[in-house]
Amino acid sequence: MSAPLPLLQVSGLTKRFGGFVALDNVDLHVGAGERLGLIGPNGSGKTTMINCISGALFNDMGGIRFDGQDITRMLPHRRARLGVARSFQIPKPFRSMTVLENLRVPLEYAARARAGQRHIIDEAMELLESIGLKHCAQHNSAGLTQVDMRKLELARALAVKPRLLVSDEAMAGLSSAEVDEILEILLALNKRGVAVIMIEHIMRAVMRFSQRIVVLDAGHKIAEGTPDEIVSNPDVERAYLGE
Amino acid sequence: MFSADLLANAVVAGILLGGFYAAVAIGLAIVFGQLDIVNIAHPAFIIVGAYIAYILNSRFGFDPVLVGLLAAPAFFVVGALIYRVYFLAFERTGQESLSGLAFFFGVMFIIEVVLILIYGVDYRLVQADYIGQSWRIGFVDFPFRMLVPFAVATALTAVIYTFMSHTFMGRAIQAVAQDRLALQLMGADPVRIKQWAFGLGIATAAIAGSLLIVIGPVEPSVGRLYIGRAFAIVVLGGMGSISGMFIAALILGIVESMVSTFAGPSWSPAVAFGLLALTLALRPAGLFGRR
Ligand SMILES: Nc1ncnc2c1ncn2[C@@H]1O[C@H](COP(=O)(O)OP(=O)(O)O)[C@@H](O)[C@H]1O
Ligand SMILES: [Mg+2]
Repeated sequence: MSAPLPLLQVSGLTKRFGGFVALDNVDLHVGAGERLGLIGPNGSGKTTMINCISGALFNDMGGIRFDGQDITRMLPHRRARLGVARSFQIPKPFRSMTVLENLRVPLEYAARARAGQRHIIDEAMELLESIGLKHCAQHNSAGLTQVDMRKLELARALAVKPRLLVSDEAMAGLSSAEVDEILEILLALNKRGVAVIMIEHIMRAVMRFSQRIVVLDAGHKIAEGTPDEIVSNPDVERAYLGE
Repeated sequence: MFSADLLANAVVAGILLGGFYAAVAIGLAIVFGQLDIVNIAHPAFIIVGAYIAYILNSRFGFDPVLVGLLAAPAFFVVGALIYRVYFLAFERTGQESLSGLAFFFGVMFIIEVVLILIYGVDYRLVQADYIGQSWRIGFVDFPFRMLVPFAVATALTAVIYTFMSHTFMGRAIQAVAQDRLALQLMGADPVRIKQWAFGLGIATAAIAGSLLIVIGPVEPSVGRLYIGRAFAIVVLGGMGSISGMFIAALILGIVESMVSTFAGPSWSPAVAFGLLALTLALRPAGLFGRR
């Protein structure tokens, strides 16, 4: 019996910027509903990996399959419609719009794609409630606090009803209580069946969240395993502590 | 000599003129202000709109402004097609800044040459009952050939403003202007949205053109006089803000009218650039910054 096909299958992915190799022949897979941690020192290629998966960048070599379909050369909006979503490391809401309007844009697109014109406003409010932003629905998005900005960023990604969410350092710079809030949001989301790749520097959060962890260093995958295996891996320690 | 009625007439004429300028600039506020496409051919499309109003007015006696409104959907389609070409030829390969400018210069040139070949360089004008009339309130004149364009332009601005902030496509256009990639990752095709927005921008040129020929006679190259003004208004208005654009257009109209009343009409083409230089020196984001 073979294992079921993973939701996301990245194989032999290579990405160069000019002569610089940001990702070198990296394999990565995520099962449906899985929680994967993606860690590595700054500049190790985590964001680049996400850019290739979401289609913001095209990889130079290797292939990406999502739900059995080859998406390697697919444009970003088509991947989004298939169910790939991401949040950005630096949140940039549509600043001319309120928090609610920021969610209307993706929700209206999702509704059109499915030809199901549910009540967009209700749906947006539900989403805001689930993420703890209901009280500032009518606020201008440019004036949000850091943590609320991160939540809005996640909410926008969730509005497309993804099957895979990649969260790129959604916790960086937050207080410990705020980190827990974001963690709860991601866990709750995962409970509803969404696979999540969490990119994070906050080890406490990654360790608690992840079922499996992949470690990148200078564009190479140097380790993969359960959180326990990763903490006791000497290569990982070396990469982080620099010999 | 300076006098109160001269001043009052200059201000009123300036406001009416500025309203018309809003109709000229509103398409660019979308296309250049929001989409960052340097469409210097926009005024040339306005001239096409003016000629269509002229043709249907002189042949069938149609009201020129009505013709402008009816021609707008056709302009929308033409605009959408032109964006397609522009995207496939330049934007997709990232060459839009220089080659794109040359492309729109070419479009402008072709429009002018075709109009000259067909209609020559003579001035053309339209007939309508209201064109010769005017109201006089106290010592201030409200000529209808200025008042009608002002009213139509103001209504057009209100419609576009409402569209941008209250409709699905309007929000999508704002979103594509602010963060194209984020929008795309939400499942929206940015090329289709930009195509829509560009079509909308060109559609406004049909209306602006009909207003232009109500104000006065038109020949194929007068569009050039509006390139500097229109871009100045969009930058002053804060790149893409519709309300900012409208206020900037009024300011330009008033200042131009004052300058031509008190310093002579030959100065007025320089006013747009003077105002632009002054504003950018004091407030680099324009009067009403985009963000
Ligand atoms: N668009 C780009 N152009 C050139 N170099 C880039 C680009 N994006 C990332 N890089 C480089 O690729 C490497 C990996 O970056 P990144 O994926 O952002 O790392 P991480 O997210 O793990 O911190 C870095 O050295 C970075 O400077
Ligand atoms: Mg990063």
